[in-house]
Order: sequence, then C-alpha cells, then structure tokens
Amino acid sequence: MTKYLIRRILHGLVSVFIVVGIVMIMIYSLMNRDLIFAADNVYRNLGNNQKTVYKYRMWQEFGYMTYVTYADYINMLYNNGEIDDATRSSVISIGRTSENDSPETAEYVAKFREYYESQGYAVQRLNAIMASARKVATGGQQQYFAYKDKPLYTRLVNYVTGLFTVDNIHAVKEDVGERGLTFTLHDPVYGGKTFAPAIIGNGTTHKYLFYVDRTFPYVHQNLLTINLGKSYTVNAGVDVFTTMTRAQGSYTPSVITYPSGLTESSADDLHSAVYVPGSRETSRVLSDRYTDDYTSVQTIKAGFSKMGYSFVIGIIAVFLAYLLGVPLGIAMARHKDKLIDKLGTIYIVFIIAVPSLAYIFLFKAIGGRLGLPTTFDMESTGKLMYVLPIVSLALPSIGNLMKWLRRYMIDQMNADYVKFARSGGLSEGEIFSRHILKNAAIPIIHGIPASVLGALVGAIITERVYVIPGAGNLLTIAINSYDNGVIVGVTLFYALLSVTAVILGDVLMSMVDPRISFSSKAR
Amino acid sequence: MNTTLSADDLARIEGMSDAELFSHISHDDLESEKITAPRYSYWRSVFRVFFRKKINIIILAILLFVILFTYIYPAVSHYDRFANLMDASAKHLGPTKAMEKFGANIHWILGSGASGQSTFDAIWNGARISISLALVCAAINMTLGVLIGAVWGFSKKVDMVMTEVYNIVGNVPYILLISVLVLIFSPSFWTMVFALTVTGWIAIAYFIRTQVIIIRDRDYNLVSRCLGTPITRIATKNILPFMTSVIVTYIAVEIPSYISYEVFLAYIGMGLSDMSLGRLIYEAESAMVTPGWGFEFWSPVVLASIITVALYVTGQNLGDASDPRTHM
Repeated sequence: MTKYLIRRILHGLVSVFIVVGIVMIMIYSLMNRDLIFAADNVYRNLGNNQKTVYKYRMWQEFGYMTYVTYADYINMLYNNGEIDDATRSSVISIGRTSENDSPETAEYVAKFREYYESQGYAVQRLNAIMASARKVATGGQQQYFAYKDKPLYTRLVNYVTGLFTVDNIHAVKEDVGERGLTFTLHDPVYGGKTFAPAIIGNGTTHKYLFYVDRTFPYVHQNLLTINLGKSYTVNAGVDVFTTMTRAQGSYTPSVITYPSGLTESSADDLHSAVYVPGSRETSRVLSDRYTDDYTSVQTIKAGFSKMGYSFVIGIIAVFLAYLLGVPLGIAMARHKDKLIDKLGTIYIVFIIAVPSLAYIFLFKAIGGRLGLPTTFDMESTGKLMYVLPIVSLALPSIGNLMKWLRRYMIDQMNADYVKFARSGGLSEGEIFSRHILKNAAIPIIHGIPASVLGALVGAIITERVYVIPGAGNLLTIAINSYDNGVIVGVTLFYALLSVTAVILGDVLMSMVDPRISFSSKAR
Repeated sequence: MNTTLSADDLARIEGMSDAELFSHISHDDLESEKITAPRYSYWRSVFRVFFRKKINIIILAILLFVILFTYIYPAVSHYDRFANLMDASAKHLGPTKAMEKFGANIHWILGSGASGQSTFDAIWNGARISISLALVCAAINMTLGVLIGAVWGFSKKVDMVMTEVYNIVGNVPYILLISVLVLIFSPSFWTMVFALTVTGWIAIAYFIRTQVIIIRDRDYNLVSRCLGTPITRIATKNILPFMTSVIVTYIAVEIPSYISYEVFLAYIGMGLSDMSLGRLIYEAESAMVTPGWGFEFWSPVVLASIITVALYVTGQNLGDASDPRTHM
C-alpha cells in the first residue's frame, strides 16, 4: 500500500509539473506579449526609444526574458572591480550614434556586444531620435541593451527549485553582527515575562523562525517559505501563496511594545519582521522603534485571507450538501416513481440544464426579496451575508449528489444480493440502510476529498456575483491582467490539489470498502 | 391464422376439392432458411417509445418551435442593434412604455435595451449564435470523442498513452486554456469553437473508452473474436448498438452544457465578441438590480434556460427510448 501510494504521489507530481510546463508554454510563448500593454497608461504616454526600452523592461518583469542595459553591464564591471570609478563615469554614457562614441567608450560598447552575444543574447542599439539638429526628441535618448528569451527548460527548473526557500543564518549578505539562532521561552514581543517559546534568528531573512500566538494554529513558523510565483499586477510584488493566505480587511490595532521599548497602539505584527538592509538609517520612524534592521512587518487585519473566505463558504456548503443531498437521494431511490422522486428529478433537471449563472442570479434575486444581504462586506460582523453564497454553492451540489446517489442505489436494487436479502426476510429499511446504501455510497465517498479540497479553490461565479474577496476569482483576474506569475502559481496550486484529491479519494475508498485494495499482493 | 371462419365460409369451402383449396408451391432452399419474426426496426421502436409519453411530444414541440424561431426570426426581422442609438428616450424601456413609443408589435414586447434596441430581437439573435455554437461544438466533440474513445478502449497501447494525456490535460485549468486561445486569436465564433473543442473531446473519449472496455470483454464479443470477426465489424455491429443510448444521453447533457459554458465565459469577460446569449447577460448584469430594467436581464436568462431545459429533457428521454430494453 505504502509503495503504491508513493508511486502514485510521484506520478502525480510529474504530471503536475508537466501541466505547469504546458501552461508556461501557453502564456510565455503562445500569447502575444504586446497584450500586457493594452491597459498600461505609462506605456501609452511614452514615446520613441523610451517606449521600446520600457517594453523590454516590462517583459523582463513579467518573466518573459532577461534584459540587461549597457549601464547595468558597466556597473557590474565596476562592482567586480574590473574597472575603476573614473573609467566607469567616462564610459557609462554612450554617444547619440555609434560614430559619436569616444574611443574608450567604443571599446566597452564592443565588449558589451561581444560578451552578451556569446551568451546568446540579442544586442540592440537605438540611436537618438532628434527633434531638431541639436535637440533630442521626447523619449528619443539613445539606448543600448541586450535581451534574451528565457528557454522553457531553465524557466521550469528555476521555478521548481525556487518553490521552497529555507531560511538560514547566512541569508542576509550585509554585516549584522554575530549570526546565530536564539531559543527563548519568553518571547520579547509579549514583554519577555509571559511563557511563550520562540526561536529568534540573526542573519536570517525572518527574525522569528518559530513563535506562538493567539491565532489558529497557534504555533507558527517562518523557516520554510513557499514561493508560487511573484505577482506583477494583481498584487504587485507579492507572492501568489501570500496573496491567497494573507488576511484582508481593516487593521486591528493593539498596544504593542517595539524592540526599542516604545509602546503604542499599532496593528504591526512584530512576528513577521523581515530584514531590510539599511532601513533604520533612512527612516526616523523605524529607528525609533527597532533596535536592528528587521523592520519590515505585516499588519494584523480583521478579515480572513482570500482562501479563508473561499474555504469557510465552500466547506459549509459542502457539509450542507452532504447533509441534505444524501438523505434526499436515498428517499428518491426508496420511493422510485413516487411523488418525491418526480419532484427531485425536476429539481435535478433544473440544476443541470439551467446555466449556473442564471440560477445564482435567481437565488440572489429571491434572497434580496427576503431581505438577506446580497453583497459581501468584510467590515461587517453579521453572519447573514454568508447565507446566500452558501446556498448558491450548496444547491447545485445537492442536486448532483441526489442524481448520483439515486442512480447508484437503483442500480444496486436489482443486484442478486438484494434479492437474496429480501428472500431471507429482511425488512426494506434494513436492506436499504445495511446493504444498498453501503455499496452505493462508495463512489460518493470517493468524491468527498475532492469537494473538501475544492472548497479551497473557491467558486468563480458565486464569488463574483456576491462580491466575495475569495480565491476563486484569482485566476480570472490574473488572466485578464496578464499576470503571468499568478497564472502559473495558481495553476500549480490547482493541479496539486486535484492530484491530492484523487489520491485521497482512492485511499478513503479502500478504507471503507475492504474489497478494494491497492497493494499488489491482493491482486 | 386466427381468422375465424364464419358459417357461410364453411358452407362454401365444404363442396370444394383439394385441387381447388390448395395450390402447389415449389421448394425453395433460401426461403426455408428464413425465420419469420415480427418486423423490428430499431429507430422506429425508439420513436414509438419516445412518443408514447405525451410530455415528450410537448417538449419536442417547444424545442422545435424555439429552434425554428431562432433561425427564421432573425433572418426576417432585420435587427439593427444601433438603429435607435441616438434616441435617448428609447433606452431601457419596459414593455408597456416601449410599445407606447414604437407601436404594439412583436419587437417591443420585451422592452428595449441599453442602446434602444429591441430586447426581443436581441435575444433571438443571441440564441442563434449560442445554439449554433453549441451544435457545432457538440458535433465536433462527439465525433472526435466517440471515434478516439473507441480506439482508446480497444487498444492497450493507445490506452496507456491516452490515460497519461488525460491525466495531464485534465489538470490544465479550462478557463486558462480558453482565454489564452481567445487572446491569441480574436474572440470570434470559430475561435470559440476551436477553444471549446481542442481539449473538449478528451472527456467524452474517456467516457466512451470506459464503456467500450466494459462491453469489449463480454462473452459474446470473445466468441465473436474467436470466430474471426474483424475488429471493425465487432466495433460497429457488436458494440456500437449497445452504446447508442449512452451516446444519446451524453449528447443530451453536452449540448446544453455548451450553452451554459458560453454564458459562463461571457460573464467572466472571456466570451465571444458577438452578442450571444451569454454576452447579453453579461452586458445587462447591471440592469438586474435597476428597478424597471429587469426585462433586459431576465429575458436572455429565461430564454437560455428554456433552450437548455428543452434540449436536456428531450435528449434524456430520447436516450431512455434508445435503450433496446425499453422497447418491449
């Protein structure tokens, strides 16, 4: 069994990464990359050479290519100690055309071309565009740069290897004094007196590697960070995983004591402190509060995360669906061709045939008439706003469950073992609950992990219609704003969930049905 | 023969000789091999069972009416979406107001929309696009799905490859695939067809493959194979008849699902550029909450629902009727 599961998991992982590869090909190679500028006002206002350069720079940010300017190259040489400051300042600016370059500059211009062309880059020089004989046109400054598309293989390998980062005491390059980890039983964030174990690092990216607080699941870690891909437009600069899991809503301030001893009411979460080099020197606010450069903190917010909202609504809907769908399906099968079966069938036809958009709007309209809130509000503490989204999600699943459970039970009703049980004198109730239901429920049980994990993903239409700040819309928003990092990250997340759901479903099924075995021995 | 002879007939026959009563028929080897049985035509039986239920006749009539109307009405109504664009007083009118303004004719029984266009004309135009899309997609996907599924079910080598392909393609988010294709090309009708069919057939093929595997190894097929029946004949004569009801039932779910899907895609802003039903719903979404504008929003929703329900119920019942076990 274990061997089989390991093989299944490895198999699943391979197909997940193939999916990520396919998605990368689709968005990076097949899609027209000029589309990202469709709604870009900066791009629209730029002109001439500046526009071209902006295009390449944005393509680099969106992950299409690597892009190096001549100035970057000269600064790199300077940082490596190959040239001195005087040479740098004399060669860093190039002439309006290549004929105007000074001999020394021309030498480095040629070096730049040689260096990057040997690495497979395309090198491009844009001559200055003149408005008059002496005046350069707006944005027409001369440009010199090299660019190279990232090949799929490197892109995929970089992505996969960068998925997890383990924090270590050599993560910060700057001088931070003595590097090391300290274990304390009295977390300084809580005043240093209450019992709260924590591991604090110096030289690590995060200050707190392990800590305890009052929010679920109480023990937290910053040692392992998951990077699904950085967002550029949806949630600029933030990782997809963080976008999905970070709390939203208004700040919840509390009285906290900063490392410097300053006490004030703030929503800062000191446990999330991340190293920012030189931050105290430039900011008075930070130097007043912190004693080291671990100054970048998250804020504590009142609402759930995107995934949190989706999951709360989704999981209640799933629970409700099984609670109602299973008994209704059984009732339909037991009273086949009676009134309840006919009513149930009408409901199922309605749910399957009518476009989901139509009945969600119908529920919204009916709910609105009944006085239920039809839009979601993160600031409100009322629980009534959850009612309509949950109902909209639960009703179709109820219909689906009823349909399949009825089908499976009716199929079982004609089986020989049922006839035998009946001839043995068992009552109909016993036959249904002891024999038929047990067999008919197996495929239903197989689907439970998928529906529970599916709740994490969220629902596209429901969340849009009721304006829920959930995770369901993340993919569509990312597609609409060409946020490649988010698209890839969300795809990986979806694919992982669906592979896990299938494996869990099989395991669960083999647990409830002793006839199903995945170990090779039984076969 | 169960015709009872009357007394008169008996009296007439009594006086006849054998030669008068019987005529001699020559022996025929071919004729003697024939087995007499009541005439059975599969499709005639299907329709006999289908039309036995009165509700089916009603729904089929509704469906035929809707489809005919969808294709004939836009052709004769000369709908111009922007005809009243400049007339500010023509926009967002309820049915009664629109008919007061433009006169009581069929165009205005559902009021007017955001650019003063007739809602009634708009929804039938939209329905034409949506139904065409659903029919074309269903035709392509079902043909590919059934053919590939049959091969997939028969060949063990193909099975291994295709199962992997299925596992991988099944994990690529469908919305992503469609939106990328729509972005690469323009969101035209045929792009949409391509996007919905490029991987759409694989689920059908998988379903057919499972059905084929179930029937493939039944005893009568093993016998047939031992007797040397070629595989194509087994596929077309032994297996296909068994699958007819399954395929028809599948089509019944498939066609309405494309209409629903088109509505869904239009709603999330990735649909057609033509004014299909989905696009009408998408554009009229704000009208739902505005008092007095309800007709703009609910008309396409209700029409889409009527079409999908009628298609679904007809298909399901036709699927039931095409199961030979119901022909008794």
